[in-house]
Amino acid sequence: MAKKTYDLLFKLLLIGDSGVGKTCVLFRFSDDAFNTTFISTIGIDFKIKTVELQGKKIKLQIWDTAGQERFHTITTSYYRGAMGIMLVYDITNAKSFENISKWLRNIDEHANEDVERMLLGNKCDMEDKRVVPKAKGEQIAREHGIRFFETSAKANINIEKAFLTLAEDILRKTPVKEPNSENVDISSGGGVTGWKSKCCS
Amino acid sequence: MSTAYRNRIQEFKVALGEENINLKTLRELCFNGIPFEGGIRALCWKILLNYLPLDQTIWESFLKKQREVYSQFLKEMIIQPGIAKANLGLSREDVTMEDHPLNPNPDSRWNTYFKDNEILLQIDKDVRRLYPDMAFFQRPTEYPCQLILDPQNDYETLRRRVEQTTLKAQTVNRNRSGVTNVSSPGKALNLYPSNEYEVLPNGSEAHWEVVERILFIYAKLNPGIAYVQGMNEIVGPIYYTFATDPNSEWKEHAEADTFFCFTNLMSENRDNFIKSLDDSQCGITYKMESVYSMLKDKDLVLYLKLEEQNIKPQYFTFRWLTLLLSQEFLLPDVIRIWDTLFSDQDRFHFLILVCCAMLILIRDNLLAGDFTVNMRLLQDYPISDVHTILTKAKELQDNS
Repeated sequence: MAKKTYDLLFKLLLIGDSGVGKTCVLFRFSDDAFNTTFISTIGIDFKIKTVELQGKKIKLQIWDTAGQERFHTITTSYYRGAMGIMLVYDITNAKSFENISKWLRNIDEHANEDVERMLLGNKCDMEDKRVVPKAKGEQIAREHGIRFFETSAKANINIEKAFLTLAEDILRKTPVKEPNSENVDISSGGGVTGWKSKCCS
Repeated sequence: MSTAYRNRIQEFKVALGEENINLKTLRELCFNGIPFEGGIRALCWKILLNYLPLDQTIWESFLKKQREVYSQFLKEMIIQPGIAKANLGLSREDVTMEDHPLNPNPDSRWNTYFKDNEILLQIDKDVRRLYPDMAFFQRPTEYPCQLILDPQNDYETLRRRVEQTTLKAQTVNRNRSGVTNVSSPGKALNLYPSNEYEVLPNGSEAHWEVVERILFIYAKLNPGIAYVQGMNEIVGPIYYTFATDPNSEWKEHAEADTFFCFTNLMSENRDNFIKSLDDSQCGITYKMESVYSMLKDKDLVLYLKLEEQNIKPQYFTFRWLTLLLSQEFLLPDVIRIWDTLFSDQDRFHFLILVCCAMLILIRDNLLAGDFTVNMRLLQDYPISDVHTILTKAKELQDNS
C-alpha cells in the first residue's frame, strides 16, 4: 500500500456550458499553462493537485465534465461525491450565463446538500467581447449565497485564488482531526457521529 | 517496400478486382490492417461501411446518384435558407404575416432557422478544435465545394452564419452598453469569438469547414439526435482518410462519400449518443458495464482491483466507446484500429474486446497503482503500439 502523502482529500467538480473554458481553467491550475486548442471533453476527465492550506497537505481530486446537455446523465452521477463544485460561464457568451440557473438546479438535485459552490465568469481577459457585466455575475452569486470570481485561464487571473478559496471553504467545515487519532475517517463524517453517540449514551 | 508488403497489396488488389467483391475475403484481409497505397484503405472503408455495393459494375451510377443526393441536401439545407436570409430586407416574400423572424410558433421556418444556428455554433466550436495537433484540418481543401462557394449565389454561407450570430449579439451589447439586456432569453444566441482561429479568404475553405458542413447536414436530417459533441471525432478520421486518397477522382468527392459512410456508421453507433437510451439495453451504460463483465471473465484479479478502488467503467470507457477510441491514440493509430473494427462483422462487440485488452495489457501497473495513478493511466493510456492491443483483443476473442 502506498504511503499517504496528504492529510485530506477533497473532491471537486467543474461544470458549465460547453466551450466556457472548464478544461483550460483546470489545466491552468494543475499545470500552470494555457492552451487554446483543447479538444472537447467527452464524458469526464480527471486531474490531481496537492496544495497546502493551514499547514495541511490537501489533495484536490478535480473532475472536469463535458458541458453539452447530452452528457448530463453521465456527469450528474459525479455530483454526489463532490465536496466542491465550480460552475463556470463565459463572460463573452450570454447563453452560458443564462444557463447558470439551470446548472444550479442540477446541483440542488444531484449534489450533497452541504456541497460548497462557487461561480466563475471565465475569459475576463476578453474585455472587448464582454457581454456579461461583472455586476450581473456578482448579483446572481449573491442571490444564491455563493462566492464569485471573474477568471482568465489565458491571462492567469484568479485561477489559483478560486481553487484555494474553494478548498479553504471546504476545509473550514471539515471536522477537525484529532492530532493523534490516525483511524478517524474524516472524509465521511462518520467519526463525528460516532463520537456523538458515544458521548450521549 | 518489402516483398511481404508488396504481396499484401497485391492480395488486396486481387480481392478488390473481382467484379462481385467477396466481402468475407475482404474482411479477413482488412482485419490485419489496410494499406494506404493506391487508395486501398479509402476504398475498403467505403465497402466495409456498407456504402459501396459489392457489385462493382454499378459503382459508377451508384456514386453519381449518391453525390447528387448530397448536393441536393446542400441546396435544401444550406443554400436555400441562406438565400432566404440574404433576401430579408430586399424582397420581403419570406416575411409574411404568417411567418416572420419573431414568430414564436415552433413550426415557423424562422424559428427553425434560429434553432439551427444554435446547433451550428456548437458544431463550429468543436470542428475548429478537431485534431489541433495536426495541421491538416486547418489547411485549405484542394476541392472547395463549388456549389457552396459559387459567387453567383448571393446567400448566407455557414461561415457567415456563424460570424453573423456572433457579431449581431455584440452590436446589441455595444449600443446599449448596459446591464439590462444580457439575460433576455433567446435573443443573444450564443457568442463565440470566431476570430480566435484563422478563417481562410473567400473562395477557399479549410478541411474543418467541410467537416462542419457534413455534421450540419447530418444534424438537419436526424433531428432526434442532431449534433452531439464527439461526433466530430468520428467523422474526422473518415474524412481524413477519404480526403487524402491518392486518387483524385475519389478525393474530389470526399465530402459526399464521408457523409454517407458517417451516416452508416452512426446508424450502428447512434444509440450511444442518445441520452434517453443511456439506461436501456442498447444504450451506453450497458456497453460500459459489459467491458467490466468481460474483464471479470478474463481477468478476475484485475476486475476486483478496479472494483475495490471504486474505479467505475463510466470514468473512462464512456469516451473509449462513444468515440471508438479516437481520442486515445494518434490519428494514424486510430485509423489502424478502425481498419480492424470496421472489418469485424460485429464491430461494436470487438470494440469491447479491444477495451478489455487495453486494461489487461496494463494490469501490472493497475494492480500496483492507487486510485489516482490508475485514473491517470486510464485517462491517458500509456501504450501507443496499437498492434499489441489488437493482437491481444483477437486473442481474447479466440479464447471465448
